[in-house]
Amino acid sequence: MTSLVSARGVSKHFGDVRAVDNVDFDIEKGKILGLIGPNGAGKTTLLKAVLGLTDCEGDLSVLGLDPFRQRKKLMQNICFIADVAVLPRWIKVSQLLDYVQAIHPNFSRSRAEELLKQTKVKPGAKVKELSKGMVTQLHLSIIMAIDAKLLVLDEPTIGLDILFRKEFYANLLSDYFDEERTILITTHQVEEIENLLTDIMFINDGKILLDSPMDALGNSYVELMTSGEEAIKARGLRPIAETEMFGKSVMLFDGITRDHLEGLGEIRVPSVADLFVAKIKEARR
Amino acid sequence: MINHYLALVKRELWEHRSIWVTPAAIASIVTLGTLAALMFAGEFAQELDVAIFGAQNLAGDAERRAVLTAFFVGSSWLFLLGLSILTIFYALDSLYAERKDKSILFWRSMPVTDAETVISKLVTALIVIPAVAIVAIVATHIVNLIVTSLWVSMKGGDAGLLIWGSVPLFDNWFAAIAVIYCFAIWMSPFLGWFLFVSAYTKRAPLLMAFLPLILIPMVEGIFMRSAHFAEAVWGRGAKIPLFSGMDIEAFFDEDKMRVNEEMVSLLSTIDFGKFVTSVDTWIGIIVCGLLTTAAIYVRRFRDES
Repeated sequence: MTSLVSARGVSKHFGDVRAVDNVDFDIEKGKILGLIGPNGAGKTTLLKAVLGLTDCEGDLSVLGLDPFRQRKKLMQNICFIADVAVLPRWIKVSQLLDYVQAIHPNFSRSRAEELLKQTKVKPGAKVKELSKGMVTQLHLSIIMAIDAKLLVLDEPTIGLDILFRKEFYANLLSDYFDEERTILITTHQVEEIENLLTDIMFINDGKILLDSPMDALGNSYVELMTSGEEAIKARGLRPIAETEMFGKSVMLFDGITRDHLEGLGEIRVPSVADLFVAKIKEARR
Repeated sequence: MINHYLALVKRELWEHRSIWVTPAAIASIVTLGTLAALMFAGEFAQELDVAIFGAQNLAGDAERRAVLTAFFVGSSWLFLLGLSILTIFYALDSLYAERKDKSILFWRSMPVTDAETVISKLVTALIVIPAVAIVAIVATHIVNLIVTSLWVSMKGGDAGLLIWGSVPLFDNWFAAIAVIYCFAIWMSPFLGWFLFVSAYTKRAPLLMAFLPLILIPMVEGIFMRSAHFAEAVWGRGAKIPLFSGMDIEAFFDEDKMRVNEEMVSLLSTIDFGKFVTSVDTWIGIIVCGLLTTAAIYVRRFRDES
Protein backbone atom coordinates (compact mmCIF):
# COMPACT_ATOMS: atom_id res chain seq x y z
CA MET A 1 0.00 0.00 0.00
CA THR A 2 1.22 3.48 -0.79
CA SER A 3 1.78 6.07 1.87
CA LEU A 4 0.08 9.39 1.34
CA VAL A 5 2.05 10.98 4.11
CA SER A 6 5.41 9.74 5.22
CA ALA A 7 7.37 11.27 8.10
CA ARG A 8 10.85 10.24 9.18
CA GLY A 9 12.58 12.02 12.04
CA VAL A 10 10.35 15.06 11.76
CA SER A 11 11.02 17.74 14.37
CA LYS A 12 10.04 21.32 14.88
CA HIS A 13 11.17 23.51 17.70
CA PHE A 14 10.43 27.02 18.81
CA GLY A 15 13.46 28.16 20.76
CA ASP A 16 14.05 25.48 23.39
CA VAL A 17 10.58 24.01 23.12
CA ARG A 18 10.35 20.92 20.96
CA ALA A 19 6.82 21.09 19.64
CA VAL A 20 7.34 18.03 17.48
CA ASP A 21 10.15 15.75 18.54
CA ASN A 22 11.63 13.33 16.04
CA VAL A 23 8.45 11.57 14.95
CA ASP A 24 8.02 8.80 12.37
CA PHE A 25 4.66 7.83 10.92
CA ASP A 26 2.83 6.97 7.73
CA ILE A 27 -0.71 7.66 6.63
CA GLU A 28 -2.09 5.34 4.02
CA LYS A 29 -4.73 5.94 1.38
CA GLY A 30 -8.36 5.39 2.35
CA LYS A 31 -7.82 5.84 6.08
CA ILE A 32 -9.47 8.13 8.58
CA LEU A 33 -6.77 8.89 11.09
CA GLY A 34 -7.54 10.58 14.38
CA LEU A 35 -4.68 12.58 15.85
CA ILE A 36 -5.36 12.93 19.54
CA GLY A 37 -3.40 14.89 22.09
CA PRO A 38 -3.77 17.36 24.94
CA ASN A 39 -3.38 21.10 24.38
CA GLY A 40 0.15 22.00 23.45
CA ALA A 41 1.01 18.41 22.52
CA GLY A 42 2.20 19.42 19.07
CA LYS A 43 -0.89 18.39 17.09
CA THR A 44 -1.37 21.69 15.36
CA THR A 45 2.34 22.09 14.65
CA LEU A 46 2.46 18.64 13.11
CA LEU A 47 -0.59 19.40 10.97
CA LYS A 48 0.95 22.68 9.89
CA ALA A 49 4.07 20.86 8.79
CA VAL A 50 1.93 18.38 6.81
CA LEU A 51 0.05 21.29 5.23
CA GLY A 52 3.22 23.14 4.30
CA LEU A 53 2.36 26.07 6.52
CA THR A 54 5.52 25.71 8.53
CA ASP A 55 9.00 24.45 7.82
CA CYS A 56 10.37 21.48 9.78
CA GLU A 57 13.44 19.29 10.15
CA GLY A 58 13.57 15.70 8.99
CA ASP A 59 12.00 14.02 5.97
CA LEU A 60 8.36 14.80 5.43
CA SER A 61 6.64 13.85 2.23
CA VAL A 62 2.97 14.47 1.51
CA LEU A 63 1.56 13.06 -1.74
CA GLY A 64 5.17 12.73 -2.78
CA LEU A 65 5.76 16.46 -2.37
CA ASP A 66 7.79 18.58 0.01
CA PRO A 67 4.89 20.38 1.68
CA PHE A 68 6.66 23.60 2.60
CA ARG A 69 8.43 24.09 -0.70
CA GLN A 70 5.65 22.85 -2.98
CA ARG A 71 2.65 24.21 -1.09
CA LYS A 72 0.77 25.47 -4.13
CA LYS A 73 0.91 22.09 -5.87
CA LEU A 74 0.08 20.34 -2.62
CA MET A 75 -2.99 22.51 -2.03
CA GLN A 76 -4.48 21.34 -5.32
CA ASN A 77 -4.85 17.92 -3.73
CA ILE A 78 -5.24 18.73 -0.04
CA CYS A 79 -8.04 20.53 1.72
CA PHE A 80 -8.10 21.66 5.28
CA ILE A 81 -10.35 23.26 7.82
CA ALA A 82 -8.61 24.50 10.93
CA ASP A 83 -10.46 25.84 13.94
CA VAL A 84 -8.68 29.09 13.31
CA ALA A 85 -9.10 29.09 9.52
CA VAL A 86 -11.99 31.47 9.51
CA LEU A 87 -13.70 32.45 6.31
CA PRO A 88 -13.26 36.16 5.58
CA ARG A 89 -16.19 38.02 7.08
CA TRP A 90 -16.62 40.55 4.27
CA ILE A 91 -17.05 38.03 1.48
CA LYS A 92 -20.36 37.00 -0.07
CA VAL A 93 -21.14 33.32 -0.44
CA SER A 94 -21.38 33.70 -4.23
CA GLN A 95 -18.04 35.55 -4.34
CA LEU A 96 -16.44 32.80 -2.32
CA LEU A 97 -17.67 30.22 -4.83
CA ASP A 98 -16.45 32.39 -7.74
CA TYR A 99 -13.04 32.66 -6.12
CA VAL A 100 -12.57 28.98 -5.35
CA GLN A 101 -13.85 28.07 -8.81
CA ALA A 102 -11.25 30.29 -10.47
CA ILE A 103 -8.41 29.27 -8.14
CA HIS A 104 -8.95 25.57 -7.54
CA PRO A 105 -8.56 23.12 -10.43
CA ASN A 106 -10.39 20.34 -8.56
CA PHE A 107 -13.42 22.31 -7.38
CA SER A 108 -16.92 21.49 -8.58
CA ARG A 109 -19.15 24.51 -8.21
CA SER A 110 -22.35 22.59 -8.97
CA ARG A 111 -21.48 20.12 -6.21
CA ALA A 112 -20.91 22.95 -3.72
CA GLU A 113 -24.20 24.59 -4.70
CA GLU A 114 -25.99 21.27 -4.32
CA LEU A 115 -24.56 20.84 -0.82
CA LEU A 116 -25.40 24.43 0.12
CA LYS A 117 -29.02 23.91 -0.95
CA GLN A 118 -29.35 21.47 1.92
CA THR A 119 -28.43 24.24 4.36
CA LYS A 120 -29.89 27.64 5.19
CA VAL A 121 -26.91 29.43 3.66
CA LYS A 122 -28.08 31.78 0.88
CA PRO A 123 -25.73 32.66 -2.03
CA GLY A 124 -26.29 36.39 -1.58
CA ALA A 125 -25.44 36.40 2.13
CA LYS A 126 -22.20 37.72 3.51
CA VAL A 127 -20.18 35.50 5.81
CA LYS A 128 -20.53 38.02 8.65
CA GLU A 129 -24.31 37.61 8.50
CA LEU A 130 -24.11 33.84 9.08
CA SER A 131 -24.06 32.03 12.40
CA LYS A 132 -20.95 30.08 13.39
CA GLY A 133 -22.65 26.81 12.52
CA MET A 134 -23.65 28.10 9.10
CA VAL A 135 -20.11 29.34 8.40
CA THR A 136 -18.83 25.84 9.15
CA GLN A 137 -21.49 24.34 6.87
CA LEU A 138 -20.41 26.74 4.13
CA HIS A 139 -16.76 25.88 4.63
CA LEU A 140 -17.52 22.16 4.65
CA SER A 141 -19.65 22.45 1.50
CA ILE A 142 -16.73 24.06 -0.32
CA ILE A 143 -14.25 21.52 0.98
CA MET A 144 -16.48 18.58 0.10
CA ALA A 145 -16.85 19.93 -3.45
CA ILE A 146 -13.09 19.77 -3.91
CA ASP A 147 -11.81 16.49 -5.24
CA ALA A 148 -8.87 16.20 -2.87
CA LYS A 149 -6.74 13.22 -1.95
CA LEU A 150 -6.24 14.29 1.65
CA LEU A 151 -8.57 16.24 3.90
CA VAL A 152 -7.16 17.66 7.11
CA LEU A 153 -9.54 18.75 9.83
CA ASP A 154 -8.10 20.53 12.85
CA GLU A 155 -10.73 20.84 15.58
CA PRO A 156 -13.32 21.45 12.86
CA THR A 157 -16.36 21.48 15.11
CA ILE A 158 -15.06 23.62 17.94
CA GLY A 159 -17.69 26.05 19.22
CA LEU A 160 -20.54 24.26 17.47
CA ASP A 161 -23.51 22.78 19.23
CA ILE A 162 -24.08 19.05 19.37
CA LEU A 163 -26.59 18.99 16.49
CA PHE A 164 -24.17 20.64 14.11
CA ARG A 165 -21.33 18.43 15.26
CA LYS A 166 -23.27 15.22 14.64
CA GLU A 167 -24.42 16.47 11.27
CA PHE A 168 -20.92 17.54 10.34
CA TYR A 169 -19.47 14.08 10.80
CA ALA A 170 -22.49 12.37 9.27
CA ASN A 171 -22.15 14.49 6.13
CA LEU A 172 -18.46 13.84 6.01
CA LEU A 173 -18.95 10.09 6.00
CA SER A 174 -21.97 9.87 3.73
CA ASP A 175 -21.21 12.58 1.18
CA TYR A 176 -17.46 12.72 1.10
CA PHE A 177 -15.47 9.76 2.24
CA ASP A 178 -14.62 6.87 -0.09
CA GLU A 179 -11.65 4.58 -0.53
CA GLU A 180 -9.89 7.17 -2.69
CA ARG A 181 -9.99 9.77 0.06
CA THR A 182 -8.00 10.06 3.22
CA ILE A 183 -8.90 12.12 6.24
CA LEU A 184 -6.66 13.33 9.03
CA ILE A 185 -8.57 14.74 11.94
CA THR A 186 -7.77 16.21 15.34
CA THR A 187 -10.21 16.92 18.08
CA HIS A 188 -10.63 17.13 21.82
CA GLN A 189 -13.93 15.35 21.66
CA VAL A 190 -12.60 11.86 21.06
CA GLU A 191 -15.89 10.12 21.85
CA GLU A 192 -17.56 11.89 18.97
CA ILE A 193 -15.24 10.58 16.31
CA GLU A 194 -14.00 7.28 17.64
CA ASN A 195 -16.60 5.35 15.69
CA LEU A 196 -15.60 6.82 12.39
CA LEU A 197 -11.84 6.41 12.70
CA THR A 198 -9.93 3.61 11.01
CA ASP A 199 -6.65 4.52 12.67
CA ILE A 200 -5.57 6.42 15.70
CA MET A 201 -2.46 8.27 16.79
CA PHE A 202 -1.76 9.76 20.23
CA ILE A 203 0.69 12.58 20.58
CA ASN A 204 2.08 14.16 23.72
CA ASP A 205 4.98 16.56 24.26
CA GLY A 206 5.80 16.30 20.58
CA LYS A 207 6.18 12.52 20.69
CA ILE A 208 3.93 9.80 19.32
CA LEU A 209 2.64 7.56 22.12
CA LEU A 210 0.45 5.31 20.03
CA ASP A 211 -0.03 4.71 16.33
CA SER A 212 -2.42 1.87 15.58
CA PRO A 213 -5.38 0.76 13.47
CA MET A 214 -8.57 0.99 15.50
CA ASP A 215 -9.43 -2.70 15.10
CA ALA A 216 -6.03 -3.71 16.52
CA LEU A 217 -6.63 -1.78 19.72
CA GLY A 218 -8.77 -4.59 21.14
CA ASN A 219 -5.90 -7.04 20.69
CA SER A 220 -3.27 -4.86 22.32
CA TYR A 221 -5.25 -3.21 25.07
CA VAL A 222 -7.61 -4.79 27.53
CA GLU A 223 -9.61 -3.21 30.30
CA LEU A 224 -10.38 -5.22 33.40
CA MET A 225 -12.90 -4.38 36.10
CA THR A 226 -12.09 -6.24 39.26
CA SER A 227 -11.89 -6.13 43.07
CA GLY A 228 -10.55 -7.93 46.14
CA GLU A 229 -8.18 -10.88 45.74
CA GLU A 230 -8.43 -10.81 41.95
CA ALA A 231 -7.44 -7.17 41.94
CA ILE A 232 -4.20 -7.96 43.76
CA LYS A 233 -3.45 -10.76 41.31
CA ALA A 234 -4.25 -8.52 38.36
CA ARG A 235 -2.04 -5.77 39.75
CA GLY A 236 0.82 -8.27 39.56
CA LEU A 237 0.42 -8.25 35.77
CA ARG A 238 1.44 -4.57 35.80
CA PRO A 239 -1.48 -2.58 34.38
CA ILE A 240 -0.52 0.69 32.73
CA ALA A 241 -3.34 2.47 34.52
CA GLU A 242 -5.70 1.89 37.40
CA THR A 243 -8.75 3.88 38.47
CA GLU A 244 -11.47 3.34 41.06
CA MET A 245 -15.09 3.10 39.96
CA PHE A 246 -18.07 2.10 42.14
CA GLY A 247 -15.69 0.55 44.62
CA LYS A 248 -14.05 -1.55 41.93
CA SER A 249 -10.67 -1.22 40.29
CA VAL A 250 -10.56 -0.56 36.57
CA MET A 251 -7.18 -1.60 35.15
CA LEU A 252 -5.82 -1.15 31.70
CA PHE A 253 -3.31 -3.61 30.30
CA ASP A 254 -0.97 -3.24 27.38
CA GLY A 255 0.18 -6.42 25.62
CA ILE A 256 -1.48 -8.80 28.08
CA THR A 257 -3.79 -11.23 26.28
CA ARG A 258 -7.35 -11.82 27.35
CA ASP A 259 -6.47 -15.41 28.31
CA HIS A 260 -4.16 -14.15 31.04
CA LEU A 261 -6.93 -12.08 32.56
CA GLU A 262 -9.67 -14.68 32.24
CA GLY A 263 -11.33 -15.27 35.59
CA LEU A 264 -9.91 -12.11 37.16
CA GLY A 265 -12.98 -9.98 36.47
CA GLU A 266 -14.95 -8.32 33.74
CA ILE A 267 -12.96 -7.87 30.49
CA ARG A 268 -13.67 -5.10 27.97
CA VAL A 269 -12.09 -3.22 25.08
CA PRO A 270 -11.13 0.16 26.55
CA SER A 271 -12.65 3.33 25.11
CA VAL A 272 -10.29 5.59 23.21
CA ALA A 273 -10.73 8.26 25.85
CA ASP A 274 -9.70 5.91 28.67
CA LEU A 275 -6.81 4.60 26.68
CA PHE A 276 -5.73 8.12 25.92
CA VAL A 277 -5.78 9.17 29.55
CA ALA A 278 -3.85 6.04 30.54
CA LYS A 279 -1.22 6.58 27.86
CA ILE A 280 -0.71 10.22 28.80
CA LYS A 281 -0.37 9.32 32.49
CA GLU A 282 2.06 6.57 31.63
CA ALA A 283 4.14 8.96 29.56
CA ARG A 284 4.26 11.54 32.34
CA ARG A 285 5.33 9.05 34.97
CA MET B 1 -4.07 30.62 -15.87
CA ILE B 2 -5.15 34.18 -16.53
CA ASN B 3 -8.38 33.46 -14.62
CA HIS B 4 -6.29 32.48 -11.64
CA TYR B 5 -4.65 35.90 -11.48
CA LEU B 6 -7.84 37.77 -12.33
CA ALA B 7 -9.55 36.06 -9.40
CA LEU B 8 -6.82 37.28 -7.06
CA VAL B 9 -7.30 40.87 -8.20
CA LYS B 10 -11.11 40.56 -8.15
CA ARG B 11 -10.88 39.43 -4.56
CA GLU B 12 -9.04 42.68 -3.75
CA LEU B 13 -11.81 44.71 -5.34
CA TRP B 14 -14.45 42.80 -3.36
CA GLU B 15 -12.67 43.29 -0.09
CA HIS B 16 -11.56 46.88 -0.58
CA ARG B 17 -14.63 48.64 -1.87
CA SER B 18 -12.87 51.95 -1.23
CA ILE B 19 -10.93 51.31 -4.47
CA TRP B 20 -13.96 52.39 -6.46
CA VAL B 21 -15.92 54.24 -3.79
CA THR B 22 -13.17 56.84 -3.28
CA PRO B 23 -12.86 57.87 -6.96
CA ALA B 24 -16.66 57.86 -7.25
CA ALA B 25 -16.88 60.14 -4.21
CA ILE B 26 -14.28 62.54 -5.62
CA ALA B 27 -16.10 62.54 -8.97
CA SER B 28 -19.34 63.45 -7.20
CA ILE B 29 -17.64 66.23 -5.23
CA VAL B 30 -16.10 67.73 -8.38
CA THR B 31 -19.43 67.57 -10.21
CA LEU B 32 -21.32 69.08 -7.30
CA GLY B 33 -18.65 71.79 -7.12
CA THR B 34 -19.17 72.59 -10.80
CA LEU B 35 -22.94 72.72 -10.36
CA ALA B 36 -22.60 75.01 -7.34
CA ALA B 37 -20.18 77.28 -9.20
CA LEU B 38 -22.48 77.51 -12.20
CA MET B 39 -25.47 78.32 -10.01
CA PHE B 40 -23.44 80.90 -8.13
CA ALA B 41 -22.27 82.42 -11.41
CA GLY B 42 -25.91 82.96 -12.35
CA GLU B 43 -25.98 85.79 -9.78
CA PHE B 44 -23.71 87.83 -11.99
CA ALA B 45 -25.80 87.84 -15.13
CA GLN B 46 -24.30 90.93 -16.68
CA GLU B 47 -20.68 90.06 -16.10
CA LEU B 48 -21.44 86.62 -17.41
CA ASP B 49 -22.80 87.91 -20.67
CA VAL B 50 -19.67 89.99 -21.13
CA ALA B 51 -17.44 87.04 -20.28
CA ILE B 52 -19.18 84.67 -22.69
CA PHE B 53 -19.12 87.34 -25.36
CA GLY B 54 -15.42 87.91 -24.71
CA ALA B 55 -14.63 84.21 -24.72
CA GLN B 56 -16.42 83.77 -28.02
CA ASN B 57 -15.12 86.79 -29.85
CA LEU B 58 -11.93 88.07 -28.35
CA ALA B 59 -10.13 85.04 -26.99
CA GLY B 60 -8.69 82.54 -29.43
CA ASP B 61 -8.70 78.77 -29.37
CA ALA B 62 -5.47 78.69 -27.39
CA GLU B 63 -6.84 80.77 -24.52
CA ARG B 64 -9.98 78.68 -24.32
CA ARG B 65 -7.88 75.55 -24.31
CA ALA B 66 -5.71 76.96 -21.56
CA VAL B 67 -8.69 77.78 -19.34
CA LEU B 68 -10.31 74.37 -19.81
CA THR B 69 -7.01 72.61 -19.27
CA ALA B 70 -6.53 74.47 -16.01
CA PHE B 71 -9.90 73.19 -14.84
CA PHE B 72 -9.03 69.66 -15.93
CA VAL B 73 -5.67 69.68 -14.23
CA GLY B 74 -7.26 70.94 -11.03
CA SER B 75 -9.72 68.06 -10.85
CA SER B 76 -7.09 65.49 -11.90
CA TRP B 77 -4.82 66.56 -9.05
CA LEU B 78 -7.69 66.04 -6.67
CA PHE B 79 -7.95 62.48 -7.93
CA LEU B 80 -4.21 61.96 -7.62
CA LEU B 81 -4.33 63.13 -4.02
CA GLY B 82 -7.28 60.85 -3.23
CA LEU B 83 -5.58 57.99 -5.03
CA SER B 84 -2.40 58.42 -2.97
CA ILE B 85 -4.23 58.35 0.34
CA LEU B 86 -6.35 55.41 -0.80
CA THR B 87 -3.25 53.46 -1.83
CA ILE B 88 -1.57 54.02 1.55
CA PHE B 89 -4.58 52.67 3.42
CA TYR B 90 -5.10 49.84 0.96
CA ALA B 91 -1.50 48.64 1.12
CA LEU B 92 -1.36 48.85 4.92
CA ASP B 93 -4.56 46.84 5.21
CA SER B 94 -3.87 44.30 2.48
CA LEU B 95 -1.71 41.84 4.44
CA TYR B 96 -2.77 42.90 7.92
CA ALA B 97 -6.55 42.43 7.75
CA GLU B 98 -6.28 38.76 6.75
CA ARG B 99 -4.21 38.08 9.86
CA LYS B 100 -6.43 40.19 12.09
CA ASP B 101 -9.65 38.45 11.03
CA LYS B 102 -7.78 35.11 10.90
CA SER B 103 -8.88 34.38 7.35
CA ILE B 104 -5.22 33.94 6.34
CA LEU B 105 -5.39 30.18 6.94
CA PHE B 106 -8.35 29.94 4.62
CA TRP B 107 -6.52 31.87 1.91
CA ARG B 108 -3.47 29.71 2.44
CA SER B 109 -5.57 26.55 2.14
CA MET B 110 -6.07 27.47 -1.50
CA PRO B 111 -3.50 26.57 -4.17
CA VAL B 112 -2.01 30.07 -4.36
CA THR B 113 1.58 30.83 -3.43
CA ASP B 114 2.48 33.59 -1.00
CA ALA B 115 4.36 35.33 -3.80
CA GLU B 116 1.26 35.33 -6.00
CA THR B 117 -0.85 36.73 -3.18
CA VAL B 118 1.54 39.55 -2.30
CA ILE B 119 2.16 40.39 -5.96
CA SER B 120 -1.60 40.51 -6.60
CA LYS B 121 -1.75 43.21 -3.94
CA LEU B 122 1.17 45.09 -5.46
CA VAL B 123 -0.48 44.91 -8.89
CA THR B 124 -3.77 46.12 -7.45
CA ALA B 125 -2.07 49.14 -5.92
CA LEU B 126 0.19 49.87 -8.88
CA ILE B 127 -2.13 49.16 -11.82
CA VAL B 128 -5.75 48.60 -10.79
CA ILE B 129 -6.25 51.49 -8.36
CA PRO B 130 -4.76 54.02 -10.86
CA ALA B 131 -6.88 52.50 -13.66
CA VAL B 132 -10.07 52.96 -11.65
CA ALA B 133 -9.03 56.54 -10.88
CA ILE B 134 -8.35 57.24 -14.57
CA VAL B 135 -11.79 55.94 -15.55
CA ALA B 136 -13.25 58.22 -12.87
CA ILE B 137 -11.24 61.19 -14.18
CA VAL B 138 -12.46 60.63 -17.75
CA ALA B 139 -16.06 60.20 -16.59
CA THR B 140 -15.84 63.33 -14.41
CA HIS B 141 -14.47 65.38 -17.28
CA ILE B 142 -17.20 64.22 -19.66
CA VAL B 143 -20.02 64.78 -17.16
CA ASN B 144 -18.70 68.21 -16.23
CA LEU B 145 -18.26 69.24 -19.84
CA ILE B 146 -21.83 68.19 -20.61
CA VAL B 147 -23.15 70.11 -17.61
CA THR B 148 -21.09 73.18 -18.47
CA SER B 149 -22.00 73.15 -22.14
CA LEU B 150 -25.70 72.87 -21.31
CA TRP B 151 -25.28 75.83 -19.02
CA VAL B 152 -23.35 77.86 -21.61
CA SER B 153 -26.08 77.14 -24.16
CA MET B 154 -28.73 78.27 -21.71
CA LYS B 155 -26.82 81.50 -21.30
CA GLY B 156 -26.82 82.01 -25.03
CA GLY B 157 -23.22 80.97 -25.64
CA ASP B 158 -22.03 78.64 -28.37
CA ALA B 159 -21.11 75.47 -26.44
CA GLY B 160 -19.83 73.82 -29.59
CA LEU B 161 -17.22 76.51 -30.03
CA LEU B 162 -16.53 77.42 -26.43
CA ILE B 163 -16.37 73.94 -24.93
CA TRP B 164 -16.26 71.04 -27.35
CA GLY B 165 -14.33 72.82 -30.08
CA SER B 166 -11.72 73.99 -27.63
CA VAL B 167 -11.26 71.19 -25.19
CA PRO B 168 -8.02 69.23 -25.60
CA LEU B 169 -9.61 66.08 -24.19
CA PHE B 170 -7.15 63.47 -25.32
CA ASP B 171 -4.12 65.59 -24.53
CA ASN B 172 -5.48 65.92 -21.01
CA TRP B 173 -6.37 62.29 -20.62
CA PHE B 174 -3.13 60.90 -21.94
CA ALA B 175 -1.27 63.33 -19.71
CA ALA B 176 -3.34 62.17 -16.72
CA ILE B 177 -2.60 58.52 -17.53
CA ALA B 178 1.11 59.25 -17.90
CA VAL B 179 1.38 61.31 -14.73
CA ILE B 180 -0.63 58.87 -12.61
CA TYR B 181 1.24 55.75 -13.69
CA CYS B 182 4.67 57.40 -13.55
CA PHE B 183 3.82 58.80 -10.13
CA ALA B 184 2.73 55.34 -8.98
CA ILE B 185 6.04 53.86 -10.14
CA TRP B 186 7.98 56.78 -8.69
CA MET B 187 6.37 56.34 -5.29
CA SER B 188 6.51 52.52 -5.42
CA PRO B 189 9.26 52.20 -2.77
CA PHE B 190 6.68 53.53 -0.31
CA LEU B 191 4.18 50.99 -1.58
CA GLY B 192 6.75 48.25 -0.94
CA TRP B 193 7.32 49.62 2.54
CA PHE B 194 3.61 49.70 3.32
CA LEU B 195 3.16 46.12 2.09
CA PHE B 196 6.07 45.00 4.23
CA VAL B 197 4.71 46.75 7.34
CA SER B 198 1.26 45.31 6.60
CA ALA B 199 2.72 41.79 6.48
CA TYR B 200 4.98 42.29 9.47
CA THR B 201 3.25 44.35 12.13
CA LYS B 202 1.21 42.80 14.90
CA ARG B 203 -0.79 45.98 15.48
CA ALA B 204 -1.42 49.56 14.34
CA PRO B 205 -0.01 49.36 10.79
CA LEU B 206 -0.49 53.08 10.07
CA LEU B 207 1.51 54.05 13.13
CA MET B 208 4.17 51.40 12.52
CA ALA B 209 4.57 52.57 8.92
CA PHE B 210 4.93 56.26 9.65
CA LEU B 211 6.78 56.21 12.95
CA PRO B 212 10.15 55.26 11.40
CA LEU B 213 9.59 57.78 8.61
CA ILE B 214 9.23 60.49 11.27
CA LEU B 215 11.73 59.27 13.87
CA ILE B 216 14.67 58.47 11.58
CA PRO B 217 14.85 62.04 10.17
CA MET B 218 14.68 63.38 13.74
CA VAL B 219 17.50 61.11 14.90
CA GLU B 220 19.54 61.96 11.83
CA GLY B 221 18.96 65.68 12.40
CA ILE B 222 19.98 65.51 16.03
CA PHE B 223 23.04 63.29 15.75
CA MET B 224 24.36 63.93 12.27
CA ARG B 225 22.96 67.40 11.66
CA SER B 226 21.92 66.32 8.20
CA ALA B 227 18.63 65.62 6.46
CA HIS B 228 19.42 63.04 3.78
CA PHE B 229 16.77 60.59 4.91
CA ALA B 230 14.08 63.24 5.29
CA GLU B 231 14.87 64.54 1.84
CA ALA B 232 14.86 61.09 0.27
CA VAL B 233 11.55 60.19 1.91
CA TRP B 234 9.47 63.30 2.36
CA GLY B 235 10.96 65.16 -0.57
CA ARG B 236 10.61 62.34 -3.07
CA GLY B 237 7.08 63.08 -4.32
CA ALA B 238 7.98 66.56 -5.54
CA LYS B 239 11.18 65.41 -7.21
CA ILE B 240 9.61 63.19 -9.85
CA PRO B 241 11.77 63.56 -12.96
CA LEU B 242 8.86 63.61 -15.39
CA PHE B 243 8.24 67.22 -16.34
CA SER B 244 10.37 69.16 -18.75
CA GLY B 245 9.28 72.42 -17.17
CA MET B 246 7.18 75.06 -18.86
CA ASP B 247 8.82 77.80 -20.83
CA ILE B 248 6.72 80.79 -19.74
CA GLU B 249 8.16 83.06 -22.41
CA ALA B 250 7.26 80.66 -25.16
CA PHE B 251 3.87 79.99 -23.59
CA PHE B 252 2.75 83.60 -23.80
CA ASP B 253 3.66 85.35 -27.00
CA GLU B 254 4.12 88.96 -25.86
CA ASP B 255 4.25 90.39 -29.35
CA LYS B 256 0.84 89.08 -30.24
CA MET B 257 -0.44 89.28 -26.64
CA ARG B 258 -1.70 85.78 -27.15
CA VAL B 259 -1.15 82.33 -25.70
CA ASN B 260 1.01 80.34 -28.08
CA GLU B 261 -1.29 77.62 -29.35
CA GLU B 262 1.26 74.83 -29.61
CA MET B 263 2.21 75.34 -26.01
CA VAL B 264 -1.24 74.58 -24.58
CA SER B 265 -0.55 70.89 -24.20
CA LEU B 266 0.01 68.99 -21.01
CA LEU B 267 1.61 66.13 -22.88
CA SER B 268 4.28 68.47 -24.24
CA THR B 269 5.42 69.15 -20.66
CA ILE B 270 5.98 65.44 -19.99
CA ASP B 271 9.41 64.01 -20.65
CA PHE B 272 9.32 60.21 -20.54
CA GLY B 273 12.97 59.90 -21.52
CA LYS B 274 13.94 61.81 -18.42
CA PHE B 275 11.77 59.59 -16.23
CA VAL B 276 12.97 56.30 -17.68
CA THR B 277 16.65 57.25 -17.67
CA SER B 278 16.65 58.70 -14.16
CA VAL B 279 18.70 56.62 -11.76
CA ASP B 280 16.30 57.61 -8.98
CA THR B 281 13.40 55.97 -10.82
CA TRP B 282 15.27 52.67 -10.94
CA ILE B 283 16.48 52.88 -7.37
CA GLY B 284 12.84 53.31 -6.39
CA ILE B 285 11.79 50.25 -8.38
CA ILE B 286 14.56 48.16 -6.82
CA VAL B 287 13.65 49.28 -3.29
CA CYS B 288 10.01 48.42 -4.02
CA GLY B 289 11.08 44.98 -5.28
CA LEU B 290 13.20 44.28 -2.20
CA LEU B 291 10.50 45.34 0.24
CA THR B 292 7.85 43.34 -1.62
CA THR B 293 10.10 40.29 -1.49
CA ALA B 294 10.50 40.85 2.25
CA ALA B 295 6.69 40.99 2.58
CA ILE B 296 6.42 37.65 0.72
CA TYR B 297 8.95 36.04 3.05
CA VAL B 298 7.24 37.33 6.15
CA ARG B 299 3.90 35.91 4.98
CA ARG B 300 5.52 32.61 4.08
CA PHE B 301 7.66 32.04 7.13
CA ARG B 302 5.73 33.55 9.98
CA ASP B 303 3.85 31.09 12.11
CA GLU B 304 0.43 32.52 12.83
CA SER B 305 -0.48 30.35 15.78
